[in-house]
Amino acid sequence: MKKRFLVAAVAAGALFAVAFGAYAGIAKVSRVSATPLPSSSCGPLQYKGSGSPQFIIASDLPLQGSSRSQTVELSKAEAFILGQQGWKAGKYTVGYQSCDDSTAQAGKWDPAKCSANANNYARNTSVIGVLGTFNSGCAEIEIPTANRASLGMVSPANTYVGITHSATGVTSAGEPGKYYPTGKRNYIRVVAADDFQGAADALLAQSMNEKKVYILNDKEAYGAGIAGTYRNALKHLGGIQIVGDEAWDPKASSYADLATKIKNSGAQSVFLGGLECENGGKLIKDLRAGLGNIVIVAPDGFSSFKDTIAHAGSASENMFISIAGEPFKFLGKGGKAFATAFGKSLGLPATKVNPYSNYGATAMVTMLKAIEGSNGTRASVTGNLFKSKFSDSPIGGFVINKNGDTNNAPISIYKVGGGTANFYKLITPPAKLVTG
Amino acid sequence: MNLPQIQLRHQLKPACWRLLGRAGLSESRWRSWSVTRRRAVIAATVFVVVAIVLGPIYGFSLAAFLTWLVFVALYVPRWERVPRVGRWIPPLGVLLIAIAFPFYSFKMFTIPVLGQFPDTHTGVVMLIYTMMALGLNVVVGYAGLLDLGYVAFFAMGAYTTAWFASQQFAGQTATGAPLRSFSLGSIDILPGTGGFHISIWLLLLLAGVLTSIIGIVIGLPTLRLRGDYLAIVTLGFGEILPQVFRNGDNLFGTGFNLTNGPQGIVPVDPLGFGHTLDHWFGLPANYLTVAPNTFGPTNLSAGDAAFFWTALVLVLIVIFVSWRVRDSKLGRAWIAIREDETAAAAMGVPLMRTKTWSYAMGAFFGGVAGAYFAAFTGGANPDSFFFNISVFILCMVILGGMGNIWGVIFGACFLAYLDQAGLANTGAWLGQHLGIKIEVPKYEFGIYGVILLVVMLFRPEGLIPSARRRREFKEGVHDEPIVEAHV
Amino acid sequence: MATEVSAPNLALLRRRGIPSPAAIFGTLLVSAVLAWLAYNAVLTPSLFAKQFLIGLTNGSVYGLVALGYTLVYGILELINFAHGDVFMLGAMISATFAVQIFGLGANEAWYVLWPTVLLTLLIAMIFCGVINTTVERIAYRPLRGAPRLAPLITAIAMSFILQNVALAWKGPNYIALPYILPQSSVFSIGPYHYQWADLIVLFITVPVLLLLTWFVQKTRQGKAMRATAQDRDAAAMMGINVNRTISVTFLIAGMLAGAAGLIYALYFTSVRFDQGFQLGLIAFTAAVLGGIGNLTGAVLGAVLIGMIQAFNNGLTWHAPGSDWTQSIVFAILILILVFRPEGLLGERTPEGQ
Repeated sequence: MKKRFLVAAVAAGALFAVAFGAYAGIAKVSRVSATPLPSSSCGPLQYKGSGSPQFIIASDLPLQGSSRSQTVELSKAEAFILGQQGWKAGKYTVGYQSCDDSTAQAGKWDPAKCSANANNYARNTSVIGVLGTFNSGCAEIEIPTANRASLGMVSPANTYVGITHSATGVTSAGEPGKYYPTGKRNYIRVVAADDFQGAADALLAQSMNEKKVYILNDKEAYGAGIAGTYRNALKHLGGIQIVGDEAWDPKASSYADLATKIKNSGAQSVFLGGLECENGGKLIKDLRAGLGNIVIVAPDGFSSFKDTIAHAGSASENMFISIAGEPFKFLGKGGKAFATAFGKSLGLPATKVNPYSNYGATAMVTMLKAIEGSNGTRASVTGNLFKSKFSDSPIGGFVINKNGDTNNAPISIYKVGGGTANFYKLITPPAKLVTG
Repeated sequence: MNLPQIQLRHQLKPACWRLLGRAGLSESRWRSWSVTRRRAVIAATVFVVVAIVLGPIYGFSLAAFLTWLVFVALYVPRWERVPRVGRWIPPLGVLLIAIAFPFYSFKMFTIPVLGQFPDTHTGVVMLIYTMMALGLNVVVGYAGLLDLGYVAFFAMGAYTTAWFASQQFAGQTATGAPLRSFSLGSIDILPGTGGFHISIWLLLLLAGVLTSIIGIVIGLPTLRLRGDYLAIVTLGFGEILPQVFRNGDNLFGTGFNLTNGPQGIVPVDPLGFGHTLDHWFGLPANYLTVAPNTFGPTNLSAGDAAFFWTALVLVLIVIFVSWRVRDSKLGRAWIAIREDETAAAAMGVPLMRTKTWSYAMGAFFGGVAGAYFAAFTGGANPDSFFFNISVFILCMVILGGMGNIWGVIFGACFLAYLDQAGLANTGAWLGQHLGIKIEVPKYEFGIYGVILLVVMLFRPEGLIPSARRRREFKEGVHDEPIVEAHV
Repeated sequence: MATEVSAPNLALLRRRGIPSPAAIFGTLLVSAVLAWLAYNAVLTPSLFAKQFLIGLTNGSVYGLVALGYTLVYGILELINFAHGDVFMLGAMISATFAVQIFGLGANEAWYVLWPTVLLTLLIAMIFCGVINTTVERIAYRPLRGAPRLAPLITAIAMSFILQNVALAWKGPNYIALPYILPQSSVFSIGPYHYQWADLIVLFITVPVLLLLTWFVQKTRQGKAMRATAQDRDAAAMMGINVNRTISVTFLIAGMLAGAAGLIYALYFTSVRFDQGFQLGLIAFTAAVLGGIGNLTGAVLGAVLIGMIQAFNNGLTWHAPGSDWTQSIVFAILILILVFRPEGLLGERTPEGQ
């Protein structure tokens, strides 16, 4: 009896050895073309050039939840540009993968997902650059990981100030240095930081002769940040009193109590620093119901006009929504050409192309240019990103400075009327209001 | 007790045997075979199903075949009969497989429907959840106290790491230079960086200790409550603590920034052994910058592998402690309380102290897991800690089998894999093969709800139950409350 | 039962006439809150009055949900976590019928509005009653006699399942409704208006509470419910069909949730798949605050919670603000459970009503 077990044991041991030997054998096989990123968070590798691509540009966006309509179009715009350039950057062939940093349950970006994605990009040597992220909170997690892998990132939408430069009262200690553990920058953005939008909204308040404003935020990374820049800009402008500054609870069933409190404060205008998906529609409704025709100003967190108007109904009439970038008629040659061609590919008129798509396209253009002039290493691509300078692009001309910020910073103000958002005016805040 | 699982088994089992009997295998004949033979037949059946039935769909893979061989080697022989070393062989085999995981995970086969075999990164997350599930198992499985706010301990652990291994408390002078700077065994910090920087290794311990103190503080006033009241109180704490973390950037209007509010605290310092140990023992200096070829093949992700093995060591410690404690006097006291609180008290088991210990210990493991999670994901963010995570971990414990270490490990690994990749892949698979466009991950918690419901109704002792738990569910227990709500 | 539990010691202290630390702490806390309220009332009287009314209205909606918790807890000693989600489904079915099917909009004439609202109310009540009874049949009845934690776990499971049903049905976004209830002002306090919609909510809650009390106290079925709550085995021996009685309880609780859902949809005009759980926890807190198992207590607790929320969010002098609302509600829950598990009206047990 015992002997049989001994035999079994030896046999099992042998099988074990064979098994691991075989794995080691497999492990030695190496690959030549780009390895796609895992399908659990990234879409299929898009490439229509000849052969297989040498490099991958990964896009990192929240493809689920309320920003979905914007981000899906943004991702398409990025792929569209790559397709226009023949899936190539100079002599290098480049594929594209669209990765998702959100979870459906949360309905927005998820910290664990961002971290996992960043690790995926960093360790996949085929990934030459990342276009992302959409949410600043996610960028804070991904930048350090990418930084250690000297992987360049171009964001089409991050607006939190502290990622690239510091500002009193808005950024916290150690920002932005703490995001770059190697001490060498690897992140640029083609969209203007929040301090531009906050300043533009403050100028809007000034232009309407407001004396008392109330600031609300949704206690999310983005919302608290933009409310802070608005507050800063108001203080710099002077002459406008902030009579209240607090958070709204996205889970509350009613904001009637908050509206009453605002009415008691005598504010002429309310600023909603936050996202529409954080119960913004209901908030607008309750503010209108309790405060009548008070001026409501919202940043680009409410820029999904369709949702904002659908959720708030007639209460959204006459509210102002600011958004970075320019409407179609103000776009330069590059912008108009892109919007027309891209709109055509989607079956949309050029004027209906979401402004973020222009930013996505610009991010791709910037990345491709950096790859084109590189020697094929990540470090050289990253270095080139900081030399980016365009006389025209889908968002017009711009230069990236040493912090990775753009100098292209027009802010469009839209006003809701008759059930649609109409362009109201363009504000380009002066630099001295922003940097203070 | 007339539970439906008994009825179901009585109906299903004979039906299966009738079917097998037609094929010439009656139940009595099966029973007459030796254990080894029966296991060999099962192993052969698995092979037939995998290689012949699923092979044509998924392609025959060498990796699948080798996996099957390992399964045969561990499962078929009756190792326990081998004198002395026998009963250690299967666990050691499993351990070996786990240690080798980073070397083969990227070369493994595709699991039917669930998609790609988990990669090393997923492996780390699975191990972190295993740690937490084992911690919750001490509270729910051993002591029988339902904790619906376990996520609070996880958050506390993560924030401990974030506080003491980041620039959070650096402060700023007028020129923007840091006010405070303290460093203890941290690695790869640029000179002139402010804030506390304590080695993550120490913080893992510190997080455990701090969290178990929180556990005791929460436990002392609440543990005298009856089971369901305790559940709702823990749920309350699980909701309050994340809100404190979210609002802690300006605590009570004093301007004191404890938690950096909704921004979360990112990034935290890297985990690693530093350059001295790297030089002398080859231990990776910094997990985030491990060279790709450190452990041999370059397509195993070296950084994730380092995190994986570290997590494995932590999980082994947790397993060892849970296992030893379960068989100790304290562990037996927990089980006594779980089965009959009144009788346990009458036999001289100090209720409060015993329950508090289970709380403290569960909290300790949760804290360590949270601290490691923060080190792994590079930060602590209030969005990561919400009620659903508590239920997710509870689901792991219940699916695997309350009170059974192996069951809980299985439940944790399986559900964590589903969460990380399995559900998304299932959605993709459904779309490709059946043309059903459904975002499966969107219904993640609905699926967990169904799992919880089905397990509680049909197999309340879990998939891999402990013998004792199974008896309790069969025979029922007397857990009348000690303190009545209605006086 | 004298073991190492602190409760008997507290009782001992109380007998000797020495107030327990818990009692001192509780008294201090309550007086501090009252002083804060009084100062605010003097400082901004009309704001205070308006917030009081908002709290009263929100509280009565919570009350309808809290009644469902308290009924079920009274009879089964089970926290029916799924109750909040049944309520949320009620709000969704009301939204679907009132707006999409019956096409109600703002400013409907009264002879269109009221019959339609009543019809929707009926549909929502039946729908939720059926769902709640089904939940009981599937998830709780098979587990009678199982360890206490088993039905609690299935209750959480059902809550998640119902949430996901709603998610699949209506998607992850808020469903917005128009203001169907009349928004015109009934009376004004300073610059603030009290609207007809607010009043209507009260007009629905109060009769429902009276009807329910009458049902539980006077009818045969109500007596059967009370008997079952008191001692299930003895009730069975006296010829009461326990399973049926429990089903009826769940049916009534579900119908209350349906009514609350309709009011919620019409009054708050915004609902999402995960709001039920949230509101359920608030309502449960209210039920505990009032004394769980006690019908009047549930409504009283709910109104108090509604007011605490409104005062916290809307008062100006040293109010913690809406950042902390959630924490405050849960802190109340914990404090009550720890120091006074019988609640405010706890002397009267469900049996003794």
